[in-house]
Amino acid sequence: MFSLPILAQILWTSLATSTCFVLFALAFALVLKVNRIFNFAQAAMMTVGFYAAYTVIGLAGGPGWLGFLAALAASVGVAVLLEIFGFRPLRRRRASSMFVFIFALVISELIAYVIMLVYGTWPATIFPSLFWPVTLVGPVAVSQWDVPAVVSTIAAIAALFAFLHVTRSGQFMTAVADNPDLAEFYGITKDRIHLITMIVAGLLTGLAMFLYGSRAQVQPMSSIDLLLFAIAATIIGGIGNLGGTAITAVVLGIVQNASVLFIPSEWQGFLLYVFLFTAIVFFPKGIRLPERRLARSTPTPSIGADEAGEA
Amino acid sequence: MEYFYTVVILMALYVILAASFNFVIGYGGLVSIAHPVFYAIGAYASALLARDMGVPVILAILAGGLIALLASVALALSSLRVSGDYLLIGSIGFQLGTLEVIKNLHWTGGAGGLSNIPSFLTQTLGPQAYVAFAVAVAMCTVLLLRWIAHGPYGRAMSAMRDDELAFAALGRNAMVMKITIFALGSGLAGLAGGIYAHYFRFIAPGQFDLLQSSALLTMVVVGGLRSTWGPIVGAIALEALPQAITFINLPPSVLGPLQGILFTSLVLIFMFVRPQGLIAASARWRGRQEEAR
Amino acid sequence: MQTGLKVTNLCKRFGGIVVADAIDLDVPAGRIVGLIGPNGAGKTSFFNLVSGVVAPDAGQVMLDGEDVTGLKMAERARRGLARTWQNLRLFPSLSVLDNLLIGTRDYPGERLSRLALQSGRIARDETQDRLKALDVLERIGLAGIAHTDIVNVPYGQQKLIGVARALMNDPRCLLLDEPMAGVEGQAYRTLQSVVRGLAASGVAVCVVEHNVAFIRDLCNEGVFMFAGKVLARGDVESLVADPRLTELYFGT
Repeated sequence: MFSLPILAQILWTSLATSTCFVLFALAFALVLKVNRIFNFAQAAMMTVGFYAAYTVIGLAGGPGWLGFLAALAASVGVAVLLEIFGFRPLRRRRASSMFVFIFALVISELIAYVIMLVYGTWPATIFPSLFWPVTLVGPVAVSQWDVPAVVSTIAAIAALFAFLHVTRSGQFMTAVADNPDLAEFYGITKDRIHLITMIVAGLLTGLAMFLYGSRAQVQPMSSIDLLLFAIAATIIGGIGNLGGTAITAVVLGIVQNASVLFIPSEWQGFLLYVFLFTAIVFFPKGIRLPERRLARSTPTPSIGADEAGEA
Repeated sequence: MEYFYTVVILMALYVILAASFNFVIGYGGLVSIAHPVFYAIGAYASALLARDMGVPVILAILAGGLIALLASVALALSSLRVSGDYLLIGSIGFQLGTLEVIKNLHWTGGAGGLSNIPSFLTQTLGPQAYVAFAVAVAMCTVLLLRWIAHGPYGRAMSAMRDDELAFAALGRNAMVMKITIFALGSGLAGLAGGIYAHYFRFIAPGQFDLLQSSALLTMVVVGGLRSTWGPIVGAIALEALPQAITFINLPPSVLGPLQGILFTSLVLIFMFVRPQGLIAASARWRGRQEEAR
Repeated sequence: MQTGLKVTNLCKRFGGIVVADAIDLDVPAGRIVGLIGPNGAGKTSFFNLVSGVVAPDAGQVMLDGEDVTGLKMAERARRGLARTWQNLRLFPSLSVLDNLLIGTRDYPGERLSRLALQSGRIARDETQDRLKALDVLERIGLAGIAHTDIVNVPYGQQKLIGVARALMNDPRCLLLDEPMAGVEGQAYRTLQSVVRGLAASGVAVCVVEHNVAFIRDLCNEGVFMFAGKVLARGDVESLVADPRLTELYFGT
């Protein structure tokens, strides 16, 4: 039905497009793993990051690199504010996870409404045009967006894994994720680690939103949909398993993009919710590959009483 | 006068919605924001049954509530199995997904909305009759939920929220209880949807979006979680407030976001400054204060 | 048919940690068996496996000759398996009396449908359960504080209330997890006599306790656990006297 070149083209474009989803999902999964928060406020970080870049480049006509830095700074800024004035006080007063949850969600909505008021509800793009010049590599058209997106995403993932495994902060993050009480016992200050995690998530989010916004239109409410995608990937990938999350995000991204061939375009947006419910109903604990069965996974933070915590 | 009736009916509907939402998140401790979507399901089901299938309106409204109830059971069964957190995620997905479906189907009227919904009571007995009907349903809802929350069932709900593991180890079935609470609350929201549809005779998916979720959350949190009268005060106050804003004659592009900012910042302020809300829950089975956890 | 609790070949591991290693143990009706062993020996895990908090990897749990291994926690409780918790797990927003009422084996107000259709009967059942709860409180000497909020009750009395709540089940088998830690004086003696009375009426009782004197006073026999295994079983006196076990208990 489809010739090989078309298939290759779709695969490549889908792969390139899915890069930002990978970063969104990684940022979400990281905060869930280390800080044990379902960080719905990531949508706020995404929205502010995008509109910062849009203001610098789209509205003020500034250079691309400045807009990129603005996106990073804005996302990280929101992340730091959220942690210091939101999550940290809530943690201190031992707020229930329902409370934290509502807080994070409501912040995202608040930011969306503020942006709507300031920028309007019309879709915006960072650069005036969404179309990037194309080079033919064999039969496949590669756009000038694709290559930097793929390269920077791979670089970001490599940097993240190096950070987690080589630097002391990164190792502390893993320690806090595995056992917060033990980590505290060894003199790791949890507050600092939680903040660092949010900063890293802010960097990933800023980069991802810059990539996404230079290729697609964004509205104030778009981030919530994008975040649901990240959540689906996080759940299917196995909560606490960053590698699984990243791979799942690529696969879901490819499925969503390739779906143009199989389902009418107006139902494409609906696919996201299918992913989400597939994740919740069929893979609530992630897809477990047999050889990974003994891999440590972070337990799902749950609203109810902790189970059997007294062995 | 017409305007006055409209406002009273809206207030009655919001009282039903806020009281039932309080039942779900306050008493049941079930975090979901999808309450407006059950309102939507009730409204659409009732409107379509009455308009396209010729079902008598009163039966259509009841059927709308029932369909919303069944939908909520499906959502709760699929997402509550794992943990409470999945319910919130599932509820957001369910809300946005359902609205997406409504927008894309032609027999629901699509994004443009569903019109020509048969009216009820208004033509025969006048709008006053409909006002009385809506207010009566609202009062029954409040009294029913109060009766449940203050009886043996309320005691059990309180224990379940406190410590689900100990609750189950005493032989209580927490899952059945959660699903029951969620179903009842959502069914009542569906009922409110039907009442809305047959008075305003036009519904559109945009009326049931996240703005509506924030509004309901605000009514409950500002009014007072787990108190009988709190959500009612919240519903009436927050229904009156946007009405007051509409008098200033702002363009809709400003009005919508402004309402959203109002609702969400009120939730945040109350969460941090006065978590018990305007009207604190009565001492009986109040549940631990959030800070005390 | 053997009455009481009978556990065969119970196994459970969490990752690399074995908490139950082929445990065979029976607690006949009317007997009081004490579990002793150092921290981390798997005593509480054993309770969690028996009461259904965690599912075992292998093995069988029988209650009065009936296999309950596949049943959920709540189902086991409804068949007369009651337990207490090391950290109490009382319901902080309820009063003492309300805490006990939730422990009734067939809690009258649990189903909304029944509440709507048989409200008269439920009101009658509630009155009866209330009397029963007051009676249980009377037996442990706490009838005076029935209507106090649980958070205002001193810790030692909260411990007794934890046991009282389990008694509302009219259990056939009772698992007590460190019932004596923090309990002194009169309450100590009350608890002893209540547990003895239960055993005399045919309840199988299993107690985890660090207080060896309590175990020695109360239990018919002791079981020594270590690293998820049952190492020895017998007279408490002889277990305590065994130098090998003492060494394991206190470490080397």
